[in-house]
Amino acid sequence: MKDILRLIIALTVISSAAGIILAVTNKVTTAPITTAAQKETVEALAAVLPPFDNDPNTCAATFTENGQTWTFHVGRKAGVFTGAAFEAIAPNGYGGEIRMMIGITASNEIQRIKILAQKETPGLGTKIAEAPFISQFDGKRIQSTVWAVKKDQGDFDAVTGATISSRAVLGAVKAGLDVYGKHAGEIARTGE
Amino acid sequence: MGFIKELKKGLWDEIPVFRVVLGMCPTLAVTTSLMNGIGMGIAATFVLICSNVMVAALRNVIPDKVRIPAFIVIAATFTTVTDLGMNGFAHELHRNLGIFIPLIVVNCIILGRAEAFAAKNTVWLSLADAIGMGIGFTIALMVLGSIREVIGNGTLTLWTGIAWNVPGMHPMLLLILAPGGFVTLGLVLALMNRIEMKLAAGKGKAYSPPLELDCRHCVICKWGSPTTSKTDAL
Repeated sequence: MKDILRLIIALTVISSAAGIILAVTNKVTTAPITTAAQKETVEALAAVLPPFDNDPNTCAATFTENGQTWTFHVGRKAGVFTGAAFEAIAPNGYGGEIRMMIGITASNEIQRIKILAQKETPGLGTKIAEAPFISQFDGKRIQSTVWAVKKDQGDFDAVTGATISSRAVLGAVKAGLDVYGKHAGEIARTGE
Repeated sequence: MGFIKELKKGLWDEIPVFRVVLGMCPTLAVTTSLMNGIGMGIAATFVLICSNVMVAALRNVIPDKVRIPAFIVIAATFTTVTDLGMNGFAHELHRNLGIFIPLIVVNCIILGRAEAFAAKNTVWLSLADAIGMGIGFTIALMVLGSIREVIGNGTLTLWTGIAWNVPGMHPMLLLILAPGGFVTLGLVLALMNRIEMKLAAGKGKAYSPPLELDCRHCVICKWGSPTTSKTDAL
């Protein structure tokens, strides 16, 4: 009995001490982690949006379509709408989710797409983040483009050896653009 | 004297990955590039030093029957501290190493050193042991990471911006995929045995690699025959 009590006390003391250390660490690192994540978003927005002088990170509109939440960040220059950017997630990549930031101009063209996170096969699927694949999107008109790889009668060359990854990216872009098309007017008025 | 001795053994004689063959999961998974190897090595070293010192300090307080859960709690605490700290202060590296940081807690090296060394030795010697083993682990990851990155990707990146592109190189993708990890590890182990053999021969001694690292305990072919003496087989 006395032995068991000794074991319980020892484990309790060690676990409590661990708990205190973790609580302190959490308190100290919360702010830097939030700042780092925010900095990442701001950098991605700056990379895909046409020139702007507002803060697209806070100037945003949120919609829910089919249970999925989409946040559109709006870029403005001297008050005029220059473009919007949003994050899309392809759930069906070869190695899991592919996250990307998509930028659209006011004249309904793709400004640029940037892959934020991916777990595709190194050297094959990872090429979706590089030219010439990802640069195919630059300047494509939303209405007159077929958002699929050529194998599926679309307008895009797939990355050789990584058709699944390429299809996943195009699927996510198309889904995002559909949502954008539905709410384009409202998005353009956000933050006026 | 004792300090230096315990520190040095982790660098060659008992280098964790190549000699003790512990911690294979992070080793094979993250060594696709030099930078990942360095990051993982430093993170694991930090956790190893903290947990070794803590375990040694508490070795007379922790009852024997609950020592394993106590060691795990200590290792898990410092792993989480490292995880949160890296996420806040080295965000990009944290993103690259992803799930491998939380997995440091189940890295056999941490528990292995706690059980085999820190639980029986003073804080001072355990610190030396942890530093030596940590550096040894980091060196092993750097060696594997460099080989795999140079051959598998044609580059060698020390840090963002400090990169060397191997001229005229056509990358051999296999090396940065999972099988390449095993191939590279096997070749490095063979090379280390070769060096040991040469060193032993220089001193006029016969060298036989640790039995568990080669195929001689299997008796399918003549090399593994238990009747053959180990030195003859070489």
